Amino acid sequence: MDNELSEIYAFVGSIAPFEQLPEETIVNIVSHISICYITAGQALPPQHIETPSFFIVRKGALNYVDQNGDLIGKYGEGDICTVFCYPEKYASISVTAEEDCLLYALDKQKLLGALITEPHIISFFEQSAEERLKNKVSSLQEEAVVNSTLTNTGVDQLYQSPAATINQHQSIAETAQKMTELGFSCLVVVDDENQVKGIVTDKDFRRRCITGGISPAQPISEIMTPDISMLDIRHTAFDALIAMTSRHIHHLPITDQGKLAGMLTITDLMHFEGQNAINLTSLIHKASSVDELAEISELIPKLQVKMARLGTPAEQVGKSISAITMAFTIRLIEIAEELYGKAPVPYAWVAAGSQARQEQMAQSDQDNALIIDDSMQPEHAPWFERLARFVCDGLAQCGFIHCPGNVMAMNEQWRQTESQWHQYFHDWIEKPSPKALMHCSIFFDLTTVHGDKQLLNRVQGKMLAKTQKASLFIAHLSKNALQFTPPLGFFRDFVLISNGKNKKTMDLKHNAIAPIVDLARIYALQEGITSVNTIERIRQAAGTRSITKDSAANLIDAFEFLTTLRLTHQANQLQAGDKADNFLSLKEISRLEREYLKDAFKVIKTLQDNRQSVY
Amino acid sequence: MLGTMFSNSLDNWFGLNAQRERLLKKVPEGPLKTFLSVPFPEHKRPISKVPMLALDFETSALEACEGHLLSMGYVSVENLSIHLGSAEHFLVKSQQQLSNDNVAIHQITSQESLSGLTLEQAVEKLLAALAGKVMLVHYAKVEQTFLAKACKTLYGYEPVYPIVDTLVVAKRRLDRRLLPYDPQDLRLTNLRDNYQLPSHYAHNALNDAVATAELLLAELAHHQQTANPLKDFLR
Repeated sequence: MDNELSEIYAFVGSIAPFEQLPEETIVNIVSHISICYITAGQALPPQHIETPSFFIVRKGALNYVDQNGDLIGKYGEGDICTVFCYPEKYASISVTAEEDCLLYALDKQKLLGALITEPHIISFFEQSAEERLKNKVSSLQEEAVVNSTLTNTGVDQLYQSPAATINQHQSIAETAQKMTELGFSCLVVVDDENQVKGIVTDKDFRRRCITGGISPAQPISEIMTPDISMLDIRHTAFDALIAMTSRHIHHLPITDQGKLAGMLTITDLMHFEGQNAINLTSLIHKASSVDELAEISELIPKLQVKMARLGTPAEQVGKSISAITMAFTIRLIEIAEELYGKAPVPYAWVAAGSQARQEQMAQSDQDNALIIDDSMQPEHAPWFERLARFVCDGLAQCGFIHCPGNVMAMNEQWRQTESQWHQYFHDWIEKPSPKALMHCSIFFDLTTVHGDKQLLNRVQGKMLAKTQKASLFIAHLSKNALQFTPPLGFFRDFVLISNGKNKKTMDLKHNAIAPIVDLARIYALQEGITSVNTIERIRQAAGTRSITKDSAANLIDAFEFLTTLRLTHQANQLQAGDKADNFLSLKEISRLEREYLKDAFKVIKTLQDNRQSVY
Repeated sequence: MLGTMFSNSLDNWFGLNAQRERLLKKVPEGPLKTFLSVPFPEHKRPISKVPMLALDFETSALEACEGHLLSMGYVSVENLSIHLGSAEHFLVKSQQQLSNDNVAIHQITSQESLSGLTLEQAVEKLLAALAGKVMLVHYAKVEQTFLAKACKTLYGYEPVYPIVDTLVVAKRRLDRRLLPYDPQDLRLTNLRDNYQLPSHYAHNALNDAVATAELLLAELAHHQQTANPLKDFLR
């Protein structure tokens, strides 16, 4: 025991991005610390610190102010001030102590030297918010969090048998041909005794054949991967997942008593949870009463928790939950038609909001409407009213509560003929009053759940043709959408709101996800994009006058990170038996996640500011 | 006592460097002589430019005649910064059995104590680190008397050196206010609380040394005394 700074080690080791660093690295970092003290009102850096340095706030608070004197951030205990190390990134920021501060100063070169074996931490400091977020999202996608289902399921239930094979003496060209015929991206290479010799995937053709300059006439054994990992059939799906993720492989040959029995792919594992969604959908189709449907609906939160735990991307969860809601709605309409007879004229039941965008989560409220064919007569109205009431009430019984804003087909205003819908959109676009803009944000995201798709297609087509030219309308819509802005950041365990107030929780929906949804909608309306899914809209708008390709990629990263965070947050609530909501307490997330959250805010803010400067 | 003998008044300061030189001639070759051969910082130098060594001893009794050194921790303070890279902490080997009370306070068992440095090694390291610096302590009596006793035993002479005592600095400030105060207010932990310094784990020599140095930085910053000369702070 020649050194005893355990408190300081513990403190430094708890700071993002130093969490999880080995003890000796922490000890090394601490040895470069100079402790200094500044009183409230003093500017950073302290006079006697002459080299570019990082400052860790041990106690106290720092304010970041931009050149206009506006507060842009507040930093407290455990935060790192990097402003003076990267002047090119933070040129216009000045930092002052808001409270008396005890600071741990770390010389930039010395700290980076201490982190030489941890390049990911150096990049954490050096990368922009956008780059950091991109890395985080790609690691999220690679991560497969394991749930109990995987450990309870044997490989034998998931693998594909028999495995497609090719003899090692066959040529590269023949192998390619066989793969194309079978539509497989991978073949097991065997010898004459059917013993496994290796594996060949699409990648090998690219990497070893084309790039390596090997002739296609050569035997396939030239480019295959030899010494491959295999797994006995008696293992669990979890073992298979670990085997694949730890070796970064996507294909795992399965053996039975040493003999090749089949093949398991990472996609098989991913789809495994998705299949539960499919099972649920088939249960819904078989249900014959609302009560039965209500019983099935209790499985939705459980499914969402399972998918979240498996690390299923939020995008896929949203699509699954939306598809299930759609199945409930369709089944309810079918039951209603059995009760009240066939529809007197063609119609379309349309979903709005998150369901239409395929971004729905369990326990969300319902948004829907009816578009009825223009041949409708006044005497047909009662049939549609009964249908709407039956379906909306049925959905409510299944956990999709009535929309508080009354955006439902059971409200006569949203149960109208095609012509009336044309008129609605015409009025909203021509006279963008606050109320009209609110309706726009709901009804520009529509999808047909049941009935005649042409009705909605025509309404949407005409509307998009108008919006592309209606620059005043787009301007109003933009202004409206920019009302919800992300927070400035975090201070201690509080969310720092732009007007200088603090909140205990962060509203993920209104202050982070909805602003992206709104931006995507504006891009879509401006560019005449028919998709309603947010990621799809951004992808299609990428590279147009609305948004550059790079910004689009950043915005998608931010959206994926935020929706994944919400998914985990809600999974925790649902698992604890609580109601799912959008209010994230900072205590739920790690310090590192807070940093990524700030990065996401920055991406949103940048694009909102761009929008503001356009109009 | 040794402290009052040479450092009560500013006039004695000149005497301190003079005493150092007189003593230097008497002491035999060895760590103490090496220590004394480095001049102390000038008394007019601004406190911000004075190199200091924040120090704390853990001892088995408050009086040097009754107890012995258990551990020492120190860290250097330069340019108003505490340089953690210079931090040292070590246990001091003891022949005596530790009482249970001591184990409870310092959490150093006899077993651990045996694994430490000998008194001679420990004092040699300390003197090398302290040379040319001002000793920074909270309630100097313990460090001063135990170091004096150790040097007397090891080298036959007691050293001289300048001391800044954060307890004395705080006491002078409180006395000037002419208001009554609770002597408890002068404890390290309570003084740190006044400046909202984070709570620290006391009874570890190095933690206490760092805590003392942080307290001095806070004192200086709050009372705008960083440019004041060293002599204002000496005890």
